[in-house]
Amino acid sequence: MPNRVAIVGIGQTRHRSTRRDVTLPEMINEAVREALADADLTIRDIEAVFTSSMETFEGIYLPDHGAAAEIGAFMKPGFKVCTGGTSGASVVVEGFCMVAAGLYDTALVIGFEKQDCGETTAAITAATTPVWGKGAVTGAIGEFAKQALSYMETSGAKEEHAARVRLKADRGACRNEYAHLKLGLQTIEEVLKSDYLVWPLRFLDFCPQSSGACALVFATENRARKIHRKPVWIADVEVVHQEPFRAGTFGDPTGKEAYSQHVACERLYKRNGITHPRRDIDMAEVYEPSNWEEMSLYEHLHFCGKNEGWKLVEKGITEMDGEFPVNPSGGVIATNPIGATPTIRVAEAALQIRGDAGEHQVAKDVKSALATALGGPNWTVLTLLKRTL
Amino acid sequence: MRQSAKKTEKQQEYISIRFDAPRKYRWSTGKWIGRTYLEAKENKKIVANRCPQCREVLWPPMQVCGRCKVEAGEDWVELAQTGTVMQYTYLVYPLWDPHYGEKFANPYPNAMILLDDGVYIRHFLEETDPKKLKAGMRVRAVWREDAERGEGTADIKYFRTIEE
Repeated sequence: MPNRVAIVGIGQTRHRSTRRDVTLPEMINEAVREALADADLTIRDIEAVFTSSMETFEGIYLPDHGAAAEIGAFMKPGFKVCTGGTSGASVVVEGFCMVAAGLYDTALVIGFEKQDCGETTAAITAATTPVWGKGAVTGAIGEFAKQALSYMETSGAKEEHAARVRLKADRGACRNEYAHLKLGLQTIEEVLKSDYLVWPLRFLDFCPQSSGACALVFATENRARKIHRKPVWIADVEVVHQEPFRAGTFGDPTGKEAYSQHVACERLYKRNGITHPRRDIDMAEVYEPSNWEEMSLYEHLHFCGKNEGWKLVEKGITEMDGEFPVNPSGGVIATNPIGATPTIRVAEAALQIRGDAGEHQVAKDVKSALATALGGPNWTVLTLLKRTL
Repeated sequence: MRQSAKKTEKQQEYISIRFDAPRKYRWSTGKWIGRTYLEAKENKKIVANRCPQCREVLWPPMQVCGRCKVEAGEDWVELAQTGTVMQYTYLVYPLWDPHYGEKFANPYPNAMILLDDGVYIRHFLEETDPKKLKAGMRVRAVWREDAERGEGTADIKYFRTIEE
């Protein structure tokens, strides 16, 4: 029987597009200090430090290497994980496994990315092998554009629905002190008149490049209750990292390719007795690089049936005061420091369970929450959090 | 460079030589993808190998079938050069190629094409008029000239709309 693991400290930077005022290690240090302050611990209480980011996004290899002092990792165990878009969730799984296995009683888990240093789309493009499909690449955004178009053509969703998702995100971001883009959008028309970036995605339909970090303190059960009066328990995690999804991000008519989200959900839901996710879980923080992707994710995560994602939007079900709030934080479309993004999903879900989300605290009482991450060609990491185990 | 304040001292003469030493990367195609390079260059063919167990076409061709977890071997088949556009987009923003340090030309819409043999290929479309692009359109590979080939699937210039 593995140890139970709780989140007992949560810290984030105020995410922005550029942080010229600090080095990368100094920026991460801000999140670490916040997390330790939240846990009321010092760095000496932390036994191991785990980090994640997207390698080469800062234009440097091993960006954690020069940060050992600032993140409190000097001469401590722990290592960095890099699994593409899911990195920040993989590090949560890493820390969870280490503490659950009994190797450490406390651990610091950090996701970070300082995108004002490098060239993100070039780094993503470099992830494709030059010996295969040379030139026929579009970075991440081109793939999400194709996915958006497929969703538009097959589901019946209109641009208006995507715009509504964007407005929902902005309302959340404007209430979230840590969020990056706070645009104060008021109308659907404002979204629909923004310029195309990659057709049919507009500037407002896609996430920004943010710089920021998110740190979490994990502790075993016997330590957790002494550290924090509101520990949030990691009930379960699921990782599906499979071979590249060659069909692109849409339903495969040949039937050969499976969505990693489907596989991951089915396993996680089954283990935890979740038969109706919207009833059995209270809210979700999902990894949605674009507003179109959010509607598509509702379906892939079984929050609704196929081609019904946009209907949840129409009914306001996923709004902050809705029946099943999704991304009250403003989500990825407002804040995307990539290596930290999935860690922020977990952090925000935990804040909702604690009731400490401040102005973006959802209306309903949150006892359980799902945090998701997507990345690579078809990778998924899920984290299920609960107030009590 | 710090300059000497005293003019009486003999001035050091500095010679500035600028030189570029581009770091050349070299990637291996390996035996399986190497075969696709050869067939594209020599014969304008798209080839792939099949798994001996599940008989699925492996694309890109590879040593191991991921599903069956067995040696895939060299059961080569030629694939159809016609297919159906499943997804497409066109880039509005500029994108550059980190492998070569150049801006991608990207003059054509980018598409995910389902070849008639059931494999997906991410490639370009000749049709540049957004109004004429649609999912489901039928296309055929157009190859580059003999002297221009040798770049694997990039030996296909783009896919041209066909009427059927």
